[in-house]
Amino acid sequence: MTVKKAGTETILDRELADLAPDLRWREWLRRVEAVLFASRSPVARETLARVVGQGASVDLLIGDLAAELEGRPYEVARVGAGWMLRTRPAYAPAIRVAADAGGPALDLSEFDLAVLAAIAFHQPIGRDGLKDIFGREISRDLIGRLAERDLIGGGPREPRRGAPHTFVTTDTFLAAFGLESLHDLPDPEQLADAGLAKPD
Amino acid sequence: MRKPSAQTADALPMLPPMAGWIVSAPAETPDAAAFRSGAALAHLGLAAQAAEVPQALWRDRLALAAAEVCAGLAGRREDARALRDAVHLTRPGDDPGPAGRLLRQWSRAVAGPISVAALTRALESVTPEQVALCLDAGGPTPVDRAAWVIEAVLTDSPRLQTAALVLADAVLAKSLGRDHVLPLISLAVKPRDLRLRGDDLWLACHRAVVLGAGQALPLAGELARAAARLRAAMPQLRAKAAARAMDQFLNRDALAPGALDFMSDRAARRLCDRLVALGALRELTGRATFRLYGL
Repeated sequence: MTVKKAGTETILDRELADLAPDLRWREWLRRVEAVLFASRSPVARETLARVVGQGASVDLLIGDLAAELEGRPYEVARVGAGWMLRTRPAYAPAIRVAADAGGPALDLSEFDLAVLAAIAFHQPIGRDGLKDIFGREISRDLIGRLAERDLIGGGPREPRRGAPHTFVTTDTFLAAFGLESLHDLPDPEQLADAGLAKPD
Repeated sequence: MRKPSAQTADALPMLPPMAGWIVSAPAETPDAAAFRSGAALAHLGLAAQAAEVPQALWRDRLALAAAEVCAGLAGRREDARALRDAVHLTRPGDDPGPAGRLLRQWSRAVAGPISVAALTRALESVTPEQVALCLDAGGPTPVDRAAWVIEAVLTDSPRLQTAALVLADAVLAKSLGRDHVLPLISLAVKPRDLRLRGDDLWLACHRAVVLGAGQALPLAGELARAAARLRAAMPQLRAKAAARAMDQFLNRDALAPGALDFMSDRAARRLCDRLVALGALRELTGRATFRLYGL
């Protein structure tokens, strides 16, 4: 794995020393855009830094890219600790009419989503904690479905016999629901005031 | 030969306590607040220089307290124990969760010398340019600079409360001539303080410095005494790696026996139990399994 990585990095000319500064910057910009375009999940700063020159500021590149995408139907969105390209919300209806074009195909049942929401609010939480919330056993299949879509990941172990896994949400979860960070989750108190949740 | 057993309470190091007029808080003017915070910082700087204070451990324990405050600011209910568990029970490759990440940010921030690269790595959510700008903050006094950093970071991105506080304490420590971040303002900052701006925030920072120094100093004394007890217990240990283990405990807030990877699991457990029996170490969780040890 590491060997392979090292191999690809030597092939990619990061510094582009033979190009004029402005052309070099353009090329870096295109690389960043290409990487974001090709990735389904948010791309972290360190990952982007690997395809551009040593001293290049990823943030400046992202800023330039965002400016360049002005007027395009998609944008660079900050998600968690990384970025991704996504279509602007205004075009959601058009994409939906075109049906399977986007098909974010999370394809989760209402109960799956309820469990996901419980994990998001109570993370890190294990299957036992979820059982306490829903009053029934949460199947491994359901957890598997969420994990397979990369919406949840493994958290700290519970300090109990068998060291059960807990679950935490991932950056993909943030991206899928259009959140920049977990702070964007509705405030539990607000939900209680709106009558959507019982205060605890 | 018999020196360790002669170690009595009065031989344990004592740090001079903060003078009463610094910490007692009557209704105050900005001048009084600034005067007292200056006195608190000067006293803390001198007292905590004592050779007996295990500096890295002190910072790590303060980082835990700061992370607890930050968790509260972020609307989370985790206390110090839960934060510790989240970090120590997360296996490599797993995610410690939102609360655990808070503590990890703090511990990384206080671990190494203050530098743009180290703080950027520790904080994850800020750019090197932002960190550099914060560390170069100008102002007549260290607390002025810290207040400016909080204001600058939060005006830009109101959610980065933890980053704002880490950077504020970093610039405070740097202005005081320290090499490492020392959580002080973060120990005593209140949620509404972070919504203040300008002179009100400045006053809140001065108050927080006095309260924070008031918390940090007794902790330094406590840890200095605990470290003396641990060192005194050393001659009674026969485990080969005991010296290395002791070194680790003098650097970290808490450790699982498994983290002493230079000795076998069983040996590490036995060593920890023995140190607890000698009164040189504490078990921090109160659990029978998944134990964590620290001074």
